[in-house]
Amino acid sequence: MKLLQIELYKIFKRPRTYISYVIIAAIAFIIQLALYADGDTLVKFMLQGVPDFVVHGKIINGYFVTYIILQTLLVNVPLLVALVAGDALAGEANLGTLRLLLTKPISRSKLVLVKFFASVIYSMTLLIWLAIIGLVLSLLIFGVGDMISFKSNMVVIMSANDVVWRYLAAFAFAGIAMTTVASLAIFLSAITDNAIGPIIGTIGIIIIFTLFSTLGLPLYDSIKPYLFTTHMLAWKGFFYDPVPYSSILTSALVLLGYIAFFITTTIIYFNRKDITS
Amino acid sequence: MSKWIRIAMLFLLVLLATDQVCAKEKDAAELYRCIREKILSVNDYVADVKMKVDVSFMRIPVMSAKMYFKSPSKIRLERKGGISILPKNSINLTLNSVLMETNPTVIEMKSETIRGRKVRILKVIPDNDQSGIVLTKLWIDDEQQIPIKIETTTINNGTVKMELVYGKYIKYALPDKITFYMDLKDYKLPKGVTMDYESNETELKKQEKTEGPQKGKIEIIYTAYKINTGLSNDIFNVKE
Repeated sequence: MKLLQIELYKIFKRPRTYISYVIIAAIAFIIQLALYADGDTLVKFMLQGVPDFVVHGKIINGYFVTYIILQTLLVNVPLLVALVAGDALAGEANLGTLRLLLTKPISRSKLVLVKFFASVIYSMTLLIWLAIIGLVLSLLIFGVGDMISFKSNMVVIMSANDVVWRYLAAFAFAGIAMTTVASLAIFLSAITDNAIGPIIGTIGIIIIFTLFSTLGLPLYDSIKPYLFTTHMLAWKGFFYDPVPYSSILTSALVLLGYIAFFITTTIIYFNRKDITS
Repeated sequence: MSKWIRIAMLFLLVLLATDQVCAKEKDAAELYRCIREKILSVNDYVADVKMKVDVSFMRIPVMSAKMYFKSPSKIRLERKGGISILPKNSINLTLNSVLMETNPTVIEMKSETIRGRKVRILKVIPDNDQSGIVLTKLWIDDEQQIPIKIETTTINNGTVKMELVYGKYIKYALPDKITFYMDLKDYKLPKGVTMDYESNETELKKQEKTEGPQKGKIEIIYTAYKINTGLSNDIFNVKE
């Protein structure tokens, strides 16, 4: 516990850690401002596929704006998670403090786990910040109302009193997704001695995998189910009707499998690693 | 002699047949006029409505709203704080707009039995296209003299079918329930924009099959009509 506190202190002592919170707030604010000023254009675009229908009512409300923010940010938040988690072990190696750290009476496995949990806590604070900036602020600015969400082949409208639980579930799922990213970044952080490598590596893997997951080309259909980025989108399932619970559960299990794989591999590798810096 | 009798009988038959046709046409036009008068007796109404949209590419909870109508064709659906998604023109196809024509050509077709009741089928062809309606087919309950099924072909919005069920407002020809059936275009947005989560639920996938033209059904249940209360035009000018 003491070790975890030290790791958290290290993370939150660095000014660059707070860049992530600023970036999230900035993106959320830009989206809120854009939707406040010209949200109708976006809605018209999304509704162009339903020319036979006319939609009345307050579509641009807090819930809808939060959905758009989440959709945008949950692509970017992994990059911010990588910024800290990727630095966890490699940053120490880069500074030359890793060898010193390992002279202390703690096992290497414990050190990896502490670094991992510290990164997870940081990721969760990012999500909580996102919830405050995204959901709470959007509700204050745009108000409450029925929520509309769009799939490529479906329009879903949810009653205002049927939305909050969906967001709670979506944020909880996003927590698993961000933990997966943190575990990947920790893994890459363990195999290099330079912090830039794991950060860029994690970001690169996420971008490439996300392309495979979302391009919708039949060529990549066979590999999609095995990519964690495909399953990271499962938070959206809570906004479908009916909610595809078994698919979401499968996705959650796949992500937990990835987390277990990355952390176990990191521990095994790190225990065998010759620490020279 | 027998030749003249046969000619006379033939002439009589032709005369009778012509008379029958005339009588039938007159009946149809009169029936149309009678129904139209009954419908026009309602100048305005407010009703609580529950709307159920059954379209393969839409998931919408049952909507509760207030519907305002003023003759001949003003209509407004009020849903405080909520989103309502409605077919562009079907809802506006009230009985009044369908039966707006004062001097249409009314042709009686064969009769049928629907829900155990004898119905007469009228084809109503407007004398102009101002209303945007090309042809209306009415299934009229012979006993109550009210339309229980309507099929309207419009210039811009294809064919809309309506089924009407009446209750205690039958004397005003105001239905308790209307079911609209319509043809719809396919709905598609680029996956790159929506970034769908692809679930494996077969039931969901089955429901999501939206390739090609779609069929849609909308049920509107009317309750608590307030009829001829003298609604102001301002109610219909509210921007939502």
